[in-house]
Amino acid sequence: MKKLFGHYRLRDFKGYLYLMPALIILLVFTAYPLFKAFLMSFQEDYSIINGSYDGINLENYRELFEDDDFLKALTNTSIYVVFVVPISIVLSLMVAVLINNCGKRSKGIFQTLYFLPYVTSVIAIGIVWSWIFNSNYGLLNYFLSFFGIDPIPWLNEPDYALPALIIFSIWKSMAFNILIFLSGLSMISQDIYQAARIDSTPRLRVFFRITVPQLKPIIVYAFMMGFINAFKVYNEVFSLFQGKAGPADSAITVVYYIYDKFYNSADYGVASSAAVVLFIIIMVLTMIQRYVTRDKEA
Amino acid sequence: MKIRIDKLTKQYGDFRAVDELSLEVNDGELVGLLGPSGCGKSTTLFMLSGLTEPSSGKIYFGDRDVTEIPPEDREIGLVFQNYALYPHMTVLDNIMFPLINRRIPKEEARKRAEEMAEIVHLEGLLNRKPKALSGGQQQRVAIARALVKKPQVLLLDEPLSNLDAKLRISTREEIRRIQQEVRITTIFVTHDQEEAMSISDRIAVMDRGRLQQYERPQDMYLNPVNEFVANFLGMPQINMFEGELRDEGIFLADKLLRRREDMSEGHDLRNGRYRMGIRPENFEIDPEGLKERALHVRMTGRDLLVFFNIGDTELRLLAHSDHNFKKGDEFSISVRPGQIMIFDGDGRTMAKV
Repeated sequence: MKKLFGHYRLRDFKGYLYLMPALIILLVFTAYPLFKAFLMSFQEDYSIINGSYDGINLENYRELFEDDDFLKALTNTSIYVVFVVPISIVLSLMVAVLINNCGKRSKGIFQTLYFLPYVTSVIAIGIVWSWIFNSNYGLLNYFLSFFGIDPIPWLNEPDYALPALIIFSIWKSMAFNILIFLSGLSMISQDIYQAARIDSTPRLRVFFRITVPQLKPIIVYAFMMGFINAFKVYNEVFSLFQGKAGPADSAITVVYYIYDKFYNSADYGVASSAAVVLFIIIMVLTMIQRYVTRDKEA
Repeated sequence: MKIRIDKLTKQYGDFRAVDELSLEVNDGELVGLLGPSGCGKSTTLFMLSGLTEPSSGKIYFGDRDVTEIPPEDREIGLVFQNYALYPHMTVLDNIMFPLINRRIPKEEARKRAEEMAEIVHLEGLLNRKPKALSGGQQQRVAIARALVKKPQVLLLDEPLSNLDAKLRISTREEIRRIQQEVRITTIFVTHDQEEAMSISDRIAVMDRGRLQQYERPQDMYLNPVNEFVANFLGMPQINMFEGELRDEGIFLADKLLRRREDMSEGHDLRNGRYRMGIRPENFEIDPEGLKERALHVRMTGRDLLVFFNIGDTELRLLAHSDHNFKKGDEFSISVRPGQIMIFDGDGRTMAKV
């Protein structure tokens, strides 16, 4: 009996052993920083060198909400989210349906082409786009000139920096959305489409009354992931404006603000409190979204 | 609506799924396309629907050549094997869908959908989603959706294959009842010979893309044109064996099954070996007949299925279940007059003797 018991203990232990590497990495790089950031956000004048602080209070949050840069970052990020996520999803859905209707070979080609941005380094893409946006030689202004639009100083003028960032991000985020929409489309039974043909369904109605409802779970997922990722936007800013947040910080986002406070201003407490605020925003929005889109049948 | 199929062919590479099929269906008739899997029956149905394009041949609905007409303009209702209901819509929306597509005002569409639901006995389930319905109910939604637009032709692809045995029988009666009620020309595909025989006005048996026989069920069962049809129809299956025709009559392993003078036809057949068939129900107890021994006996309910050997050939006979057959019992039998089928080398029926 004792031996049997010992045997089981050993097996349990072995199981944990297998889990250990992943657990340790998660604890050290995710759980601990999360907890620490939460703590730091309440510690006034925290020093990263000796860990000292002046007291536990809401001083960081007060400072944060009085900082115009943060409010601007918050506004920018909100505008960014509101534009990027829905536009990207609508465009992706259209492209995915078009690709899906292609022949087998061209389908593979288009699928690869549209997925390329996802596997390419953001920095490299950012450099390419900074040339596309270039006010003198850029492709975008060249195309706009056909419609009689004067060159727009996309990256040099504060008013245009955020729109430029949004255009760039829509294009970039489409890759992932198209991929999941395509896999979703391939899961819809062909019979339903045949039935729709027999039922003389106009094409647009097929899209809105059959494809979209069938894809609903995937669309919900795309929105959720889109919102979360869009709130965390940072790489795109960094790469498009070569490490800055646009002219006069006009395209600053919340994560860029956190990064800037932490590394450039050494305001650890404020950076942490901004991170906590962002965390709460994302969490609340995700919860609202899940509530709104919950399956009423279940 | 009368349907005429003329030399319809569907070729996939070197493979002819349907091979010069010609068929006529009268207005209001219910025709079963019957055959083993891969015989081309579903391909034929899908060509009728327009979802599959034929390689050659013509399809006429009435006098109209519909071969080139897309499915949405053919005025057909199609019930898919797995029903293909729109899963996110309620039963009512599913049935209304084809009407809304035809720009029929919502109020009228709802009225017509509700009437149709009543015909297929779905009232009370209109607000459910397909997932919440049983297989038989989903089936009826599919039929209602197909019929609500008042099509000229109703096509059903293996309509009963996804149902359990009991439901199958009631549903096939239901299909027959609905078909009679709306008097619509109907073609359905099945691999179940009993199903086809029980509800069809006529059956078209197909094998390897070719039409074998097109006949009323009873005529086909009694007078199959070839070995394939004889084999395919009937449960338990027909007994097939190699018999010999001699001057005295028909022999199986040196036992005389039928005297030459008792043969009802086929008197000009030359002596020799032939493929022959006897349906299990066409043996009868006859004290004067052949003495045989029961190898084993299976009770099927209404009948007893008795297995016995003549020479090396295993045969089965059906006897009424009140006969007291047991394994090892001896009995004597003869074949009912005119019930030995004789086939030629190509499997064609030459005589029933």
